[in-house]
Amino acid sequence: MLCVTLNPPPSPLELLELRPVAFALAELGLLAVAGGLLGAWVVLRRLAFFTHAAGTATFPGLVVAEAAAFSPRIAALAVALGFAGGVERAGRRGRDPGDVATALLLVAALAGGAVLASDVFESGAAVDRLLFGTAVGLDGGDLLLSGAACLLAVGACLAFGRAWTATGFDPDGVPSLGVPASRSDLLLLITIAVAVVAALPAVGALLVSSIFVVPAAIARLFSKSVGALVRTAIFVAGAQGALGLYLALWLDVPPGPAVSVLGATGYAACALVRGIRLREPSVRRVETAA
Amino acid sequence: MSTPGPVAVEVQGVSLGYGGAPVLDRVSFSAPTGTTVSVLGPNGGGKTTLFRALVGELSPIAGSLAARGRPAYVAQTERTRLDFPVSALDVALMGSLAGGRWWLPARGSDRRGARSALGRVGLGAEANTRFGELSGGQRQRVLIARALVQDAEVLLLDEPLTGVDRASAEHIEELFGELRSEGRTLLVSTHDMDSARRCDLVLCLNRRQVAFGAPGEVLGRETLEQTYGSEIVMLDEPGQPARAIAVGHHHHH
Repeated sequence: MLCVTLNPPPSPLELLELRPVAFALAELGLLAVAGGLLGAWVVLRRLAFFTHAAGTATFPGLVVAEAAAFSPRIAALAVALGFAGGVERAGRRGRDPGDVATALLLVAALAGGAVLASDVFESGAAVDRLLFGTAVGLDGGDLLLSGAACLLAVGACLAFGRAWTATGFDPDGVPSLGVPASRSDLLLLITIAVAVVAALPAVGALLVSSIFVVPAAIARLFSKSVGALVRTAIFVAGAQGALGLYLALWLDVPPGPAVSVLGATGYAACALVRGIRLREPSVRRVETAA
Repeated sequence: MSTPGPVAVEVQGVSLGYGGAPVLDRVSFSAPTGTTVSVLGPNGGGKTTLFRALVGELSPIAGSLAARGRPAYVAQTERTRLDFPVSALDVALMGSLAGGRWWLPARGSDRRGARSALGRVGLGAEANTRFGELSGGQRQRVLIARALVQDAEVLLLDEPLTGVDRASAEHIEELFGELRSEGRTLLVSTHDMDSARRCDLVLCLNRRQVAFGAPGEVLGRETLEQTYGSEIVMLDEPGQPARAIAVGHHHHH
């Protein structure tokens, strides 16, 4: 029989006095803004798989950078931007890279990264760090990168949000509006790729979806406008990050997976609630008819 | 047809394709300002391809085409994402992207213009209704409002009356009359012969130009059979103009 003994919940204020925890909270806050903003268009433009793949594609690059004593941020950025450029190029030529090609890339990136990692790292802990991140243990450089990604996301959404919405809503009609759809889409993919790289230290190559997809997917269930979707997604991402970090510290589990599990559970609960709410009118009609 | 104005759309010997053999060959016609041109043709006949070329999305393999200003393309409403969380006002406001400020947020004057355009198409009260919750006819009118915000002189309307209820169809046709009287030129792709008969000019396409001219000259049995082939059922009545029903137009090319 499995017995789990829980420690008493720690005081959030006492936890915040610890510098690594304060750094982790600040990082998750910055990522919540970037993830909520960009996540709105990730969900609306059906880019969830691209976002997940962009994170995973960086894994072999991170391993090689570690082996070569090269900056992992630059290596990850190069791989993610290359991936974004490839996807945009395929889309511009009318050849959707498709789920199969993206899935093959995911498998290749993971397998390639694992093979390289077996030669580079002596312990599995380093591989876990690359795959699942470590929000507690970040440095000022990580915060700086996330701050820059956050500013980039805010600026890009303010400038190009209308074009991204119009292109997603009516791809056939956008050329007649004079919007260069391929250029604005490339900007969206690049902004996502940069933000994904900024999130790697906190949530790792495998869990970026918990920042850029899950909060916006939850918000999408209840939002009736793009503005409401963005605001709700930022709020959900922030709440999920703060609560996930607290649970991780209390239960002594890694923060990245804790944030992801919390987000996935939240999505399941919200989808259930929405499903019940959607069924209510028909139930009432049946009752009236009876 | 009233006295023709200056030319709004000029197409000369145009052939269009997507990298292979032309899907639309040797098209030549001109549409005077303030006229409505009905574009008839079977699925895959080249109607949408012609529209894509007119908005500059597709370059001609041969020939030349020109239109006054940047034409507005009004897609079939089912080609839009009905699940998008955008209101009628949001969609009309997308027309302001055409002002060359697509990288900047909308201004107050853009919003006022979008509200006014919605009022013109009779949907001022539905400005905040989600686009996907509107009826097919209302959605079509919102897309026309977007073209009005765009202030295009040439409107390309892709089967605007397909799947639209009678009341909305009448409203849309009234609106076409108003737009024409403002000097706008409309190219309307349709399968509806009666609607085509009410236009100033008719262009028949079937991978090439079959005919172009006034409805009375063009809409005869022979032309319609060449245009639609087996996709048409003739309903001839002695002493009446040729009548026909185009069938099997579920696909979109």
